[in-house]
Amino acid sequence: MADQANNQKPFDPMQPWRSMRDAYLDAWAKSMVEMVNSEAYAQATGAMLDAYLTVSAPFREAVEKAMLKTLEQLAMPSRADVISLAERMTHIEMRLDDMDAKLDALGELTASRSAVTLTEAVAASRKSPPGAKKATPRKPAGRSKR
Amino acid sequence: MAEAPVVTDPFTQAADRLKTLNKVMTTKAAIAQTPKELVWALNKAKLFRYTPVVPAEKRHPVPLLLVFALMNRPYILDLRPGHSFVEYMVAHGFDVYLLDWGAPGPEDKNLQFDDYTLDYMPRAIRKLKAISGSEEFSLLGWCIGAILTSIYAALRPDDGLRNLILLTAPLDFSNKQGLTFARWVDERYFDLDRVLGVFGNMPGEMIDYGAKALKPVENYVTNYLKLWDNLDDPRVVQAWHAMNTWVTDNVPLAGGAFRQLIVDLYRNDRLMKGELVIRGQKVDLRKIRANLLTVIAEGDHITPSCQSESVMTKVSSKDKELFRVSGGHIGIMAGSGASKHTWPHINNWLTTRSERS
Repeated sequence: MADQANNQKPFDPMQPWRSMRDAYLDAWAKSMVEMVNSEAYAQATGAMLDAYLTVSAPFREAVEKAMLKTLEQLAMPSRADVISLAERMTHIEMRLDDMDAKLDALGELTASRSAVTLTEAVAASRKSPPGAKKATPRKPAGRSKR
Repeated sequence: MAEAPVVTDPFTQAADRLKTLNKVMTTKAAIAQTPKELVWALNKAKLFRYTPVVPAEKRHPVPLLLVFALMNRPYILDLRPGHSFVEYMVAHGFDVYLLDWGAPGPEDKNLQFDDYTLDYMPRAIRKLKAISGSEEFSLLGWCIGAILTSIYAALRPDDGLRNLILLTAPLDFSNKQGLTFARWVDERYFDLDRVLGVFGNMPGEMIDYGAKALKPVENYVTNYLKLWDNLDDPRVVQAWHAMNTWVTDNVPLAGGAFRQLIVDLYRNDRLMKGELVIRGQKVDLRKIRANLLTVIAEGDHITPSCQSESVMTKVSSKDKELFRVSGGHIGIMAGSGASKHTWPHINNWLTTRSERS
């Protein structure tokens, strides 16, 4: 009994208020979803965005011009120059990636060829008649010791 | 010696709650914790390989590549330990790779679906194949990532794609009445050229506003009240903190890709009509032959089910399944029910189709 009493949630005086609040929020949410789904809302947000772009355009253009002049006077690259460089870097990176993949493929091909040659050499040495002279590895080029 | 009594006076409780509230609102949660290695990068895109935890001989031989949307961070797939799809799939023996598109800069404003699907994805997949040693692979695309994976699968059907999973895929834009976004970006109201002329890329904050404005009360009021009501419950607070960290970490969408999304898809539904042209090639969904699993979130207000259903009749895949799960656009993969419903279904579906052929 005591355990049961302990497990029960304590009385929360705010609970009825919370339930009312949630019910109100649900109703509000539904009406807002209907509102944002309407043509009028789409039209209003489009108009607001247009107004923002129109109002901010002179400031934006002035800042851009001033920045461009400043950078020119300081003999520094403009935003457009940096963007152009970055685009070229991406192209170079892409070509490097392709070359890297080709090198990997070539490396694998060479490794598999060497493995085949080695296997063939081992097979040939096994096939050679007993007592036959084994091929001696070639000495590296260079001066021989006297 | 008697223990000190636990102080539970209302003032201390209120102070603790405010401290917790301040912490979750002003700090970033520790997310994307599953160990991984960067294996490839191109421009801002990065390919990560998650460190396998299952021995190689017990692992599924077909690797899995995850492709998320362009305008959100992909770590929603690896949100936090114990609540991570990536961690779950790695533990179930998959060799998991994640393609992170990164945040486009002003120099990337002309990037289009063409570049993502024909320059970035094939190269990332080439690297994946080289590392995994497998000629076949599985692709999972979520949201815009599902558009990219569908285009890729249709344009390169012989690339070794064995399994294709599309999560909440916005592919069909024919039902204009059912799509709030379509109404907002209608050419009568939304001046696309002007917006992109000013911003270059579509700012992440504007996209975030658009997504939240679909359900304004839930996103701007109820979400915070839910946190306030549960400030004493550490489990709810942790989950909220991690999700809020992800939700507030927006990236811009490359201008070229945004233009295609609006003009080609939302306004003209070119993908479903078979009229979408990617680098001179028409995207024909009938060329998709890979095994297909389409997952639909029944409560999805961003991608309603009408956008994902019709792809099932377009593809040529013989093995295809439509799986409906209750939950929202993000909730089906990152919500509390994800580990009970969506993840096990994807795991089971993929496991039976990821064995050596």
